[in-house]
Amino acid sequence: MIEALRENVLKAVHIAEKDAKIYFFKGPNITFGLLFPAIIYLAFSVGRTAESPSLIIPGLVAMSSLFGAGAIESLALPLERAKGTFDRLLAAPISLTTIIVGKALGGFFFGIFLSIGYMVIALLLPGASIANPLLFALGIALSALAFSALGVCISTPFRDVPQAMPPATLIRVAMVFLGGVFIPINAMPGFLQLVAHLLPITYAVNMLQQATTGQTFPQALVIDVAALIIFSIIFFVISTVILKRTLR
Amino acid sequence: MSSIIKIQGLTKQYGNTLAVDHLDLEVFEGEIFGLLGPNGAGKTSTIRMLTGQTTPTSGTARVANHDIIHESTKAKQQIGVIPDISNIYEEMSAWDNLIFAAQLYSVPKIEREKSAKELLELFGLYERRKDRAAGFSRGMKRRLTIAAALIHKPKLLFLDEPTSGLDVQSLRMIRNLIKELNDDGVTVFLTTHYIEEADQLCQRVAIINKGKIVTVDTPEKLKASMEKRQVIEVSFTASSGLEDKLRSLSCVNDVSMLGDKCRLQVDEASEAVPSLVDFARKNSLKIISINTLNPSLEEAFVKLTGLSPEVMKTEKEPVKRKRIENLD
Repeated sequence: MIEALRENVLKAVHIAEKDAKIYFFKGPNITFGLLFPAIIYLAFSVGRTAESPSLIIPGLVAMSSLFGAGAIESLALPLERAKGTFDRLLAAPISLTTIIVGKALGGFFFGIFLSIGYMVIALLLPGASIANPLLFALGIALSALAFSALGVCISTPFRDVPQAMPPATLIRVAMVFLGGVFIPINAMPGFLQLVAHLLPITYAVNMLQQATTGQTFPQALVIDVAALIIFSIIFFVISTVILKRTLR
Repeated sequence: MSSIIKIQGLTKQYGNTLAVDHLDLEVFEGEIFGLLGPNGAGKTSTIRMLTGQTTPTSGTARVANHDIIHESTKAKQQIGVIPDISNIYEEMSAWDNLIFAAQLYSVPKIEREKSAKELLELFGLYERRKDRAAGFSRGMKRRLTIAAALIHKPKLLFLDEPTSGLDVQSLRMIRNLIKELNDDGVTVFLTTHYIEEADQLCQRVAIINKGKIVTVDTPEKLKASMEKRQVIEVSFTASSGLEDKLRSLSCVNDVSMLGDKCRLQVDEASEAVPSLVDFARKNSLKIISINTLNPSLEEAFVKLTGLSPEVMKTEKEPVKRKRIENLD
């Protein structure tokens, strides 16, 4: 049992390594993963009163993780299905769950990579600091996990990139504006506050905010961590179910 | 002989289309088994179900002593799959492609590097091992795909149209490889629409048409099942205008022209040959060549399926790749 688990984990890591080699520096990844968060941030913040750098960091880092982790998934899975290389994974002795996890791992690492990159840039702003680096690191990791799982979930039904990209982008952009990145949730109408609490980015921003300011609320923190883990599990399960259906 | 593939009632439905219709089939260990049929007959759908790439609508299949649905990981560990398109990762080098394939089958590190080297040398790709597969020719990509399927030394190999669209040299190489692998004990299950390929390579052939198995037997028994008749192929110094004249001979049942050769269906070759010699003399012709032919697998196929041999010569449409490459 343990040996089987170890083998499956290894195979998932190998799939992630392969995806990193092939997809990390593909055009759509650079556009949507690397540049899009900065473009959206600049578009929204130009002309507005400058916020404290410590308030900028959580939203920016969460957004970069969302787009970074998700961009690679919108590319990797549909592209493999279009080219026929996904059949290679299906014919190999790997479970569908391991394939899904392997695919998500690539996005997970890319999401972390981009988050750290944006974090470093934001820390260069005068007055910027992170009060609790360990909690911040955990926040980055859990965010990247949830967003890569979301990315796989969104892209699983599609068999090529042009089909997968539009819904993936639409969902992520909507999440950015509804998840407390630019507009505080308590400033939104009641219905939208409810929607915000159904989005993983809300909990990612909350967690990163507490880590940045040092003002932690243990109950809220537990909810943030639990929510990100639960979202990850739900997205993985949905992805596996959808993938099984597409094989019928 | 023990069974390595056992299929019962295997069915695949895509929407309203019944691609595979309650297949019953058994393949024995150590044989080269061919699934022969035209495009759209259900060959690829069958192979995709047997290799776990798609789920059957109904029916069961045991591959290498494991149920392909409920014990798919164990079954897949024993098999190698060579699809009809070369599905290697073009962005990776030949070496990386093989190493990744080996990793998926849990081949230990030392062994995977040794096997990768051996296979690349065998397929004449070792010098190009560090080159991205995107720059390879079609034949080279095919060879790399085959190498990736062999990296874990499977005991059962599935090949879907292995020689489709290849040049003669690559085609011969692959056919020889299939025979060598079989000599080494590997069971081969291949699909093809080339009748000649099935005839030359396979110890047993199943003919499939519209999702159903028409018959299963050895190529020789299929040929022998044809009615006893003889065909003489004769070439004269001139061939135009001969068809009607030859048809009028009493010993000739039917005539067809193939280029400069006349194929005559006769009841008895020993009686027809002197008539042909006489015919040539009366028409001031010389006989360039004259042969008696045995029934071919193609003729058996036509008789069993009612399909024209031309249907079997239609290649599958190539996969549209242009849009994907523009993403780089």
